[in-house]
Amino acid sequence: MDFTFSEDHAMFRDSVRGLLERECTPERVRTLWQPSDSPGSRVLWGKLAELGIFGMMAPENAGGLAMNEVDLVLPLIETGRAAFPGPVVECAAVAVPALRDLGDEALQELWLAGVASGDTILGFAHAANNLVADADVVDALLVGQGSELHLFPSDQLSLTHQPANDPGRRLFKVDVSSGSADTRIAGGQAASSLIADALDRGAFGTAAQLVGVAQQLVDIAVTYATQREQFGKPIGSFQAIKHALATVQVKIEFAKPLLYRAANSLATRADTRSADVSQAKAGAGEAATAAAKTSLQVHGAIGYTWECDLQIWMKRAWSLDLAWGSAAFHRGRVADAIIDGSSPARSFGFEAR
Amino acid sequence: MKILVAVKRVPDPNATIKVRPDGTGIVTDNLKYVVNPFCEIAIEEALRIKENHGGAEVVLVSVGEQVCQEQLRTGLAMGADRAILVLQDGDVEPVIVARALAKLVEQEQPDIVMLGKQAIDDDSNVVGQMLAEMLGWGQGTFASEVKLSEDKSSAVVTREVDGGLEDVEMPLPAIITADLRLNEPRYASLPGIMKARKKELKEIPLGDLGIDQSVQVKVHKLSPPPERQAGKKVETVQELVDLLHTEAKVI
Repeated sequence: MDFTFSEDHAMFRDSVRGLLERECTPERVRTLWQPSDSPGSRVLWGKLAELGIFGMMAPENAGGLAMNEVDLVLPLIETGRAAFPGPVVECAAVAVPALRDLGDEALQELWLAGVASGDTILGFAHAANNLVADADVVDALLVGQGSELHLFPSDQLSLTHQPANDPGRRLFKVDVSSGSADTRIAGGQAASSLIADALDRGAFGTAAQLVGVAQQLVDIAVTYATQREQFGKPIGSFQAIKHALATVQVKIEFAKPLLYRAANSLATRADTRSADVSQAKAGAGEAATAAAKTSLQVHGAIGYTWECDLQIWMKRAWSLDLAWGSAAFHRGRVADAIIDGSSPARSFGFEAR
Repeated sequence: MKILVAVKRVPDPNATIKVRPDGTGIVTDNLKYVVNPFCEIAIEEALRIKENHGGAEVVLVSVGEQVCQEQLRTGLAMGADRAILVLQDGDVEPVIVARALAKLVEQEQPDIVMLGKQAIDDDSNVVGQMLAEMLGWGQGTFASEVKLSEDKSSAVVTREVDGGLEDVEMPLPAIITADLRLNEPRYASLPGIMKARKKELKEIPLGDLGIDQSVQVKVHKLSPPPERQAGKKVETVQELVDLLHTEAKVI
């Protein structure tokens, strides 16, 4: 399978990276660790929207670009690399394609045009997540409840803030007991299918962000290891440091093809998509948590301080590793798929015999 | 209104540049190339003039190898209308670039030629000035602000000069070179990138322009700048003043 991205993919990735390096600096991220109504978060969101990321998967008649997960994966990695605050995955990769697949043009006109321009932020509450991340910034929340899918405008949401280890990813308990026929947008098999797809897409988008988070953690640690000197030479010259970082980089490089395959499986609606997504999520989570641990070790005591920016990505790695299903949950799905025979057992080109 | 913007392909300013051991050039293996940052500012200014003054055609021009297409595509994705690539292998010295641009100005008849004030690779800072001389046009170099008159017959350019700012007014057509603070360039949007593939990118061999290509400058050797030395710590202000006076000889 050819995982080569086109020149346009690379150019858009560079655009997103350039914008986020300029606008989403660690200083800016820290200022956004405030309650949601700080206007700064909307400004940053709007700048990312101007590049076209949020409407990528929306249909053209709703102001979108009718693209798929293969087109979305590189920009999502960049949002992870920048520790971009806000429900990027839930909006661009989950809620938008859910409304697209629902096919209700009135709903699409009402919500998706605003998403593409950045004026509207959508979220998605799924049973895989006990709490809803960034629910305080959304204009509407799609909620999968049993075999029904509801859409709650923000003024009908009752949120209770919960403590979270990542201040850039605020968690909320959402009371959806007010769900009624007015908020219900799908039911039965259609809703079940949309909710199942949402889990795959949420796990895929989170895996993409985890790969970006992992790479940024390694890059920060490498920069530190080339500057910090001990025994008269940079600490990165010692095998105890460089071999540990190389091991993490190998994990990242192994996670990338899993992620790209998951993107392709989702885009082509392959039968193996759920297992492919789960393998990608477990691999990306493993790479990111290893990157967090190793980067902290490389930094030593300074890595524990509030002033050190390393915490931004370490906490994001830990929180995203648990979002949209833990590594254990996803490994379980891969195991089920192999045992059921519904998914060919594949890993790095080896076929099970 | 038509605006011609010169675009140069240069190594990424964030990349670490290494000089080849024999001093004949820089190591280009795995080196990333981008649009010269000052040229990017020039493109952005041309696009803003287009957006704020009732439309204009923005035409990009680059002189160099086939791979310069990449930088022209970036400019087209930002919003320029079409591009011209003057093909020439190897390094092209500034005076030949200026002659090529002068020839294209004859053909295209633009109202403004925008350039970056200098390229970050050779820092020559001469093409805009030479082009103005060749065409006999007014020039506003090191621009930090550009204002067009309502009838678009003249421009006031605020220049960053030693010790302050200088406003110069010139009739159009004119040459304007962009300084760092003129604007903050936009990033190519996804719809812009998709549209750029369909925009015209015309290639013209340098030889077809019929200009004098005689080389006047030869680079003999490149060498890296000396490594930065560690600073000196002083105990008192008086000691600092003495050293500035006796050692650095700056006061």
